[in-house]
Amino acid sequence: MDSRLHGQTDLPVMKPYVLRGHQYDEMFLVRWLGSLPPWSFLVLLALWPAAAFAQSASFGTADAFVALWRWIPFLTFQGFLFNVLISLFAMLIGTTLGAALGLAQVSRNKVTRGISWSITQLFRNSPWLVLLFVVLLAFPFEINVFGLTIPIPAWVKAVIGLSLPVMANISEIVRGAVNSVPSAQWEAAESLSFTRTQTLWQIILPQCFKRMIPPWMNWYAILTMATPLCSLLGVGEIITFSRQAMEAENNHPELLMPFYGYALVLFFAYCYPIARLTIALERRYSVKL
Amino acid sequence: MKRFITTALVTSTALAPLSLAAQECTNDTWKKIMESGTLTVGVKADYKPWGYRGTDGSIIGMEPDMAQMIADTMGVDLELVAVVSSNRMQFLEQGQIDLMIATMTDRPDRRELVGIVGPNYYTSGTNVMAPKQLGFTEWSDLTGKPVCGIQGAFYNQIVEDRYDVEVVAFSGTAEAKQALRDKKCVAFVYDDSSIGSDIASGNWDDFEMPLPSEDDSPWALAVPKSEENCVFGAFMKGMQYQWHLDGTLVELEEKWGIKPTAFLAKQQELIQQTTPMPE
Repeated sequence: MDSRLHGQTDLPVMKPYVLRGHQYDEMFLVRWLGSLPPWSFLVLLALWPAAAFAQSASFGTADAFVALWRWIPFLTFQGFLFNVLISLFAMLIGTTLGAALGLAQVSRNKVTRGISWSITQLFRNSPWLVLLFVVLLAFPFEINVFGLTIPIPAWVKAVIGLSLPVMANISEIVRGAVNSVPSAQWEAAESLSFTRTQTLWQIILPQCFKRMIPPWMNWYAILTMATPLCSLLGVGEIITFSRQAMEAENNHPELLMPFYGYALVLFFAYCYPIARLTIALERRYSVKL
Repeated sequence: MKRFITTALVTSTALAPLSLAAQECTNDTWKKIMESGTLTVGVKADYKPWGYRGTDGSIIGMEPDMAQMIADTMGVDLELVAVVSSNRMQFLEQGQIDLMIATMTDRPDRRELVGIVGPNYYTSGTNVMAPKQLGFTEWSDLTGKPVCGIQGAFYNQIVEDRYDVEVVAFSGTAEAKQALRDKKCVAFVYDDSSIGSDIASGNWDDFEMPLPSEDDSPWALAVPKSEENCVFGAFMKGMQYQWHLDGTLVELEEKWGIKPTAFLAKQQELIQQTTPMPE
């Protein structure tokens, strides 16, 4: 192809400059996850016991898998279910607040813009674990509303803690999406005497919506994989319960691979379809230039 | 705004115990338990056999048994909350739990934060598990060598200062033991009672507990600081005294397969000697 293109010439030809290595990509996580072929799940399932068998000892890997079998219902339905719940609720709260914050970032009011920008930057750049610590340890465990005591369990506090960084990142997605719509559309709308609210809701946002879906799902996958952070604070989720289950099985080191491997398989099985869907949607909605 | 709310919450929760401690007995916790009919106890869920999970997810062990006895004596229902070393004292001071029985070592700095009421119910010392072939005989043999440990254990600092060892701390016991087996460290520093039961289990035949135990320290349960010298604190003192007197603790030790300690036998003898027994 190259030789045909450049043909026979004595003149030096400057080839296009290609930077080696990957480009930075905000959606690296789902892109990588989504690019894996479906049979990689089977490979993971096969590799996991194999890796565990590589550890040799008297307790025996078979015993460790028997132990895991006993704990699977507990780990899945009282552990992983909470990871899913935490991620769903954190996403719901994060999206609602983030959308409002993102719109405030494109406000015409300077003060509103400034405040929402600061909030976004503060929570986008704080370590997730620090936010979790602050929310979990500083928030009350129950609140009194007109004499009615409402308990706030630890996992609800984890939801609030995780929704803060999600909120800030969704805010950036919304701001970016609104800005990505060519400014000519604003001008055209104004010339047709649309008000600013009408322009935003009837013209700009409907176009943004599709663009926001892939990065939004990317953040959902990142959030789901971040939920085990809560285990450091003792919130009941799969990693916390895996540790407790290993303790109950006398902490044989042989238990580590089966138990953590099981958590890996569950997270993979949950996030992989999301990643595939995200990539598919991204391809469908991508703006062709 | 969010920041303001957070600051306000931090300040209010931090100041609340202070303002309570200065008051006379209000017995808030005791009244709350009696009114709601539920005693909430913070126990460990990752410290076999003191407190650990059954496969159905319930928390069982010696400390949950003790909590059940307390609830039965008070005539209320029991609710167990799993706590970890890093949050157990906050939970108690916030009122999230009414009572804490969570393998806590009785230390002076902790006495300032929570209402530790005696007599203590157990003791444990610090020791190491090490491969037999290394042939350690005294603590100074460990000087300058890497030793595995558990994050948050108070003796990490002590052995580091005293013997100049390099403690590599892990989040869980299984991880620390795997590191010992992988020869990432020469020994694993932990409670002597737990090491004893591991070696007795027969899965650690090439390992031994070669050193004399150090820093034998008592374990304590705790009530909120404001209840320390009030009804709840006095009641818990009485419960523990009774357990020593009638041998409940020794029985529980046996039930959960904990190596009998000289401490419990001695306490029982002491208390029986000083208590007039009806014929």
